[in-house]
Amino acid sequence: MSAEKKRRFTAADVRLAVVGLFVVLAWLGMGYRLFHIQVLAAPDLARQGLEQRLVERELAPQRGKIFDRNGEILALTVEAQSLYAVPDQLESPLWVAQQIGGALGVDGDALYQRLTSGSSFVYIKRQVDRETAQSILDLGVKGIYAHPEPTRVYPAGVTASHVTGFVDIDGVGREGLELVYDEALTGVPGKAVFERSLDGTPILQGYSDIVPAIPGVDLYTTIDLPLQYQAQKSCADAVERTGAESCWVVALHVETGEILAMTGYPVFDPETRRTVDPACDDLEGEERSTCLAFRNFVIRGIYEPGSTQKLITVAAALEEGEVDINTVIPEVADELELKPGACEDDDDDLYGCYRDFSRHETRDMTVAEIFSQSSNIGTIKIAEKLGQRRLVQYIQAFGLGKRTGVDYTAEAAGILNFEAGCDICWASAAIGYSVAATPMQMAAAYAAVGNDGMWITPHLVAARTDVDGDIEPTPVETKQVISPTTARIMQELLAQVVAEGTGIQGSVEGYRVGGKTGTANRIGPDGRYTNETRASFVGMAPISDPQVVVAVLIDNPSREFRTGGQAAAPVFAEVMEQALHRLAVTPDHAR
Amino acid sequence: MTAVVDPRPRQREQRSVRVIPGRKSRRPAVGPWLIVAIIAIGGFLGLGITQTSLDRAAFELAELNKAIEQAEDRNLDLKLQIARLESPARIAPLAEEMGLVLPEDTRKLYVDLDEEVPVYAEAERGESNQ
Repeated sequence: MSAEKKRRFTAADVRLAVVGLFVVLAWLGMGYRLFHIQVLAAPDLARQGLEQRLVERELAPQRGKIFDRNGEILALTVEAQSLYAVPDQLESPLWVAQQIGGALGVDGDALYQRLTSGSSFVYIKRQVDRETAQSILDLGVKGIYAHPEPTRVYPAGVTASHVTGFVDIDGVGREGLELVYDEALTGVPGKAVFERSLDGTPILQGYSDIVPAIPGVDLYTTIDLPLQYQAQKSCADAVERTGAESCWVVALHVETGEILAMTGYPVFDPETRRTVDPACDDLEGEERSTCLAFRNFVIRGIYEPGSTQKLITVAAALEEGEVDINTVIPEVADELELKPGACEDDDDDLYGCYRDFSRHETRDMTVAEIFSQSSNIGTIKIAEKLGQRRLVQYIQAFGLGKRTGVDYTAEAAGILNFEAGCDICWASAAIGYSVAATPMQMAAAYAAVGNDGMWITPHLVAARTDVDGDIEPTPVETKQVISPTTARIMQELLAQVVAEGTGIQGSVEGYRVGGKTGTANRIGPDGRYTNETRASFVGMAPISDPQVVVAVLIDNPSREFRTGGQAAAPVFAEVMEQALHRLAVTPDHAR
Repeated sequence: MTAVVDPRPRQREQRSVRVIPGRKSRRPAVGPWLIVAIIAIGGFLGLGITQTSLDRAAFELAELNKAIEQAEDRNLDLKLQIARLESPARIAPLAEEMGLVLPEDTRKLYVDLDEEVPVYAEAERGESNQ
């Protein structure tokens, strides 16, 4: 026993002890590591693991729809397919460019260049319909794929394009209502965070956090689609008939300021984002781009309104008590020289010479005769009684020289040229020169007369509804610009113009119509007047209780159709008749 | 040499020998363990079945959502088709092609509400009232 006690540790014992110690330390290390992983670092590691499986995606909101006043769809967003290629996988980029590009209407050369540019992803064509995309995919060409993408479509085609405007390829509003109400139409994007497997499939019972997208609001416009079509068709016919460059029409509801139709010709295709005008095909470069670009002269174009402006001059004089309709203006000649020597040159090279459209003997004329026969000289004599200051006040009160506030982009304010030192500008302004207005401004001014002197902001959107169906009407501004009595007198004077004056072609069977023709010379690139004209007609009906105002502008008609009565009045009559029928207005004029 | 027998009990041996009452042999109690096992197995099975059901329901839900999306897309497509088919820009040229024209010679009937009711109408009304 004592011998055993005295036995010394052998080398084997030491090795055993070392190994044992190593094993113990290893276990301790592993234990610590386990503790660290399972306890200390567990939350962080769990988070990292989750993050590897989590994916976050933006949920695109559905863009709001645009309707006409009867609920017809003018614009909506549907899902399309965008075809793309992975060039590295293509066996024959040339074949793809020629055959598939050709089938899709894509420029083959341009597509081939993109396919061989070294890019790893090339769109062949974006936003094609599903059937077309499927037919391409069914060819089984390696390296060609498709992904879904929303696209904006306009079922009414070109008809409502001047109202809706359009969006770009990414669905962002670029023109018209699409731009004005872009934020509201777009909605608010949502977010989806969810777990996915290695192949990207969502793990159904896994973590998910979804904040749904809020769809854009729907816009209910004031446009009447059939009337809009009629207006556009009448314009197209007028351009063909008169050889004009363009034609523009706007129809307003008198009592509400609602725009029932706003269109023109040439037309614009909102889906291809190009003007449809054969004249553009002959142009190149910047001229071609300008020709194809979106235009809306009703709101953005300014022109000298010519005789249609006389409504404001005469209304102002009546309102101020300077004249009544039976007041006789003595010695109304067919020519008036406000600057010495201005009328000596027949070419009218010097401003300050005013002439009536037709030559006539100098005679006394009543205010009513001056208005119905559209005498420039008589109107200037009326304006002389009024004075420049009050004339300008009324022109501004009727909304000229500043934007109407219509819910549309890039509205023109117009021009009131009463610069200091211009001692004839008042005379020019009285007959519609020295003033530049938009067709919309003129329509709103006439609507004020039709609405018993109350001017109302013209507007395109009656209301918008959000996802909950809450309706938010569009606020409008109103202001009394002349008294109801003066307005009624002006309505009767306008009716006289159509019944027996220059606007007889603006008459509509069954209704008493009032209106005024306008013919103004266009200003050339050198800033001087040319022989080219802008023919216009603005009027209202029925005179017993005006419901609709229509303004028509024909730009540069041929010589035989150079006046408002010849070129614009027939278009007015067609549009007005349709408008009265669409609104079911009772005829007020039995024949 | 005679051996002497010591008659005293061998106390030491007596002290070291004692009677230990034997344990009553009995069969191990399996009942509770069985119950626990059954509950555990049942629980596992239940969990599995529930999980499977949930997964199946989730798959069905996903399929339904997909079907709803497809139906909504289809609905939008149909709305688009209707809108395109109803568009005046499509209908009017077709109508013209088919020979429909706007009437040029129209007749309008006007009713003068201020005009006195004809006598015969009064008479008819009077008779019917009687």
